[in-house]
Amino acid sequence: MTSLHELQSRLLDALLSGSAEPADSASANVAAALPLIDAPGPAAAARLAVYRQTVHSNVAAALRSTYPAVWRLVGEDYFRKVAREFIIRHPSECGDLTPVGALFPAYLARLHDHDEYAYLADVARFEWLIQEALLCLEPPPFDLARLRLVAPAAYDALRFVLHPALRLFESRYPVRRIWESNVGAAEPESIDLAVGGERLALLQRRLQLHFHALTTGEWCWLEALAAGEPFAASVETAMASDDAFDAVAALRRFVSIGAIVDF
Amino acid sequence: MAPHLVQPTPPLPASAGIGLRAPHHASVLADSPDVAWFEAHSENYFADGGAHVECLSRIRERYPLSLHGVGLSLGSTDPLNAQHLARLKRAVERFAPALVSEHLSWSSVKGRFANDLLPLPYTEEALRHVSRRIAAAQDALGRQLLIENVSSYVSYRCSSLTEWEFLAGVAVESGCGILLDLNNIYVSAHNHGFACVDYLEGIPVDAVQEFHLAGHTRIDAGGESLLIDTHGAPVSDAVWDLYRHALRRFGARPTLIEWDTDIPSLEVLTAEARRADALEAALHDLAA
Repeated sequence: MTSLHELQSRLLDALLSGSAEPADSASANVAAALPLIDAPGPAAAARLAVYRQTVHSNVAAALRSTYPAVWRLVGEDYFRKVAREFIIRHPSECGDLTPVGALFPAYLARLHDHDEYAYLADVARFEWLIQEALLCLEPPPFDLARLRLVAPAAYDALRFVLHPALRLFESRYPVRRIWESNVGAAEPESIDLAVGGERLALLQRRLQLHFHALTTGEWCWLEALAAGEPFAASVETAMASDDAFDAVAALRRFVSIGAIVDF
Repeated sequence: MAPHLVQPTPPLPASAGIGLRAPHHASVLADSPDVAWFEAHSENYFADGGAHVECLSRIRERYPLSLHGVGLSLGSTDPLNAQHLARLKRAVERFAPALVSEHLSWSSVKGRFANDLLPLPYTEEALRHVSRRIAAAQDALGRQLLIENVSSYVSYRCSSLTEWEFLAGVAVESGCGILLDLNNIYVSAHNHGFACVDYLEGIPVDAVQEFHLAGHTRIDAGGESLLIDTHGAPVSDAVWDLYRHALRRFGARPTLIEWDTDIPSLEVLTAEARRADALEAALHDLAA
């Protein structure tokens, strides 16, 4: 008799492999699963296809929820096709569908490596960071009184803590404008990709999403802080790439926008 | 802003509640509609924070709550997913629901997930296996789970028990309660050719702690008619009849109106809940 484990393995192989089209009952994985089902061959295939369609449409719906701008840019038909191919190569590894699209930006990058849709992967990467930021817990506000108690000689060794919902993003495309134009109710505007990109800090605070354009120095400094560098070393890192970096101004700016929450 | 622990909720009232879905968060908070209780999908509130977690914390302050999971994959032959269980435990601690439920199904094997509620074969092996897993999950959560019967479109050649024998056996072996989904019974009865009444008669009265009601659709699958549990339509007349039958056998229980696709306005859902309450009240009056 088929063991429970073998039954589950054969069923899941049939559900996750090959095309999701009902007509595709001839694939080897589907053929291997059909004898498990208590129905004549064609009926068993049709019943199995109900599950195959559900599995694929659940993932497509989850990806659409994470990547609304990518969905609008490529349209429903192409999005569903790519989602179906994606999930066959990268099956869900979790009972919760929230993380299912983690590899979708990299998948799009490989798919459109050198064609005119190369910007899609960056839009997807931006949307993934937005989802991550939106699911973070708001920490208590920065306690400035505590900072004032720190002796000036100890500043260099301070390790500033970034808001958990802060994400750094850079692209050579105008991704923020593309995203904003494709998630609202209005018709998307025409955007010239040649205008170039920017470096951004994305931050969710009190359930609101904020975008802050970054100078090269600020970008390097926040990356250094995120890597756990102490204050003095992080300032050196920033100044190495940007002579104009002003550490005091940066500290004031990122504390005031809530990007730095502790030390 | 951080969600705070709340006191354990009192038991859910034996009346109709509504499945809480994200499109209704704002109107529930703004209008405090007259709903006896809400049931939320556990996984939708697994995040550390964010709008959904914040909304459910506030809704939980005003309404009794049940948490209903779809992703624990209790029937899987993989090891119980410790990370998923830990997140469920955190959600249970955070929202202190009156009931916590999961499904009598599997959705994963060898680390890959279908993220769908796949039926188990109804064998002695599967009965022992899933009962052990439910018991382990209950131990980890420190509370009883309700286990819901799923709708299904396939049955397996190796099954040797009826679905109701299997469900009743699992309740005895694992100590879980039963969440009886009457639409799922109706859908599966049509798809597999058994009598709904036989199912109800095979379930021990004391084990049943909640009912689910939902809508389904009919499709043509390779020339045969299949019912699909879409949760995208009003409760059908046949399922209302089955609800009457269940009320007569089991008595009044917390009863959920579930709607997951093409989600209508909250008013449509509250009207369905009122219909369930009216039906229970009419039967109660008849019996008095």
